[in-house]
Amino acid sequence: MAKAQDIEVGPSEPYRQAAARIVRVRAGELFAAAAGVLDTGDIERVHDMRVASRRLRAVLEIFEPCFPRSEFGGVLRDVKQLADALGARRDPDVHIEALRAFSGALAAANRPGVARLVEDLRARQARGNEMLADQLLRVEERGLHGRLLALADAAEAAR
Amino acid sequence: MKARRVKGLDPDGALADNAERIVLVRLEELCSFMPTAADPDQVVALHDMRIAAKRLRYILEVCGSCFGPYARTATRMARELQDLLGEIHDCDVQIPETAAFAERLQAADAAALRAAAGAAGDLDPALLEQAPHARDHAGIAALEVHLRARRLLLFDRFLELWASYERKGFRARLEYAIAERGVSIGTP
Repeated sequence: MAKAQDIEVGPSEPYRQAAARIVRVRAGELFAAAAGVLDTGDIERVHDMRVASRRLRAVLEIFEPCFPRSEFGGVLRDVKQLADALGARRDPDVHIEALRAFSGALAAANRPGVARLVEDLRARQARGNEMLADQLLRVEERGLHGRLLALADAAEAAR
Repeated sequence: MKARRVKGLDPDGALADNAERIVLVRLEELCSFMPTAADPDQVVALHDMRIAAKRLRYILEVCGSCFGPYARTATRMARELQDLLGEIHDCDVQIPETAAFAERLQAADAAALRAAAGAAGDLDPALLEQAPHARDHAGIAALEVHLRARRLLLFDRFLELWASYERKGFRARLEYAIAERGVSIGTP
């Protein structure tokens, strides 16, 4: 898994300045993790992007008072929707992996049922991938990365 | 679960002063789920406690360096708790999903057997061998048993983990670490 960049903060650093710095880094990590995320053959990619979306959402919530209210709500909503779409793809990925491991420990007579459930989850995974593809397109159309950077700039500029 | 509102945050104030307010609210939020979440049937409280642990973990990950070495320990503890509650939550989601899947297979087989019986006065048990999912039921039943047993085991681990946090003074030590960061930042 891609490790989040360590961001040094100082106790006396202004809250709004830390907000700007951290949101820029976490937003960059989110969009850097988008490459190949729709590839169901490499489930770590969607995992990395989901973790990045959680970290970004967390810092947006931690630093909420630093951002202009008029812009903040829409940006947070878009990040949440992207995180939900990543979850809809990731959850069946994890479940399928767990069932594979479980099946390996089962008596042969019990394996067909588990394989049947995996088939069902594959269909859910495909639906999740379609949802994610739509959401990635939406994020691009709505300029989410640029809006996040603008939010960081506004936090830093406000005095 | 909607996060509790943190009052008195000041964008122009020092990071540590604001982080202190947030950590204290998130810590109180987390601890408030006990003892309710110690009841294994309180699925919603357990889920909400996981979210509260996640929120505490994230504020500590971002700002923990303002509060000395115990904040790092507390970050690890919040993460461990979040992970364990997440495993329990996965069971709470997968148990009913697996049961629903079993029900679907059984309903499909029942319909297929009824059709196979045609005009017979009663259903011949030998027809069961022809059910489309005849070979699938055992594995799904085994999975459901496994998930239920795993949930019991993980819940016991959760109770042990929380008891160990209480023994170690998790809450008091984190509150102390935050209070001990010294005089308010910016005070000469």
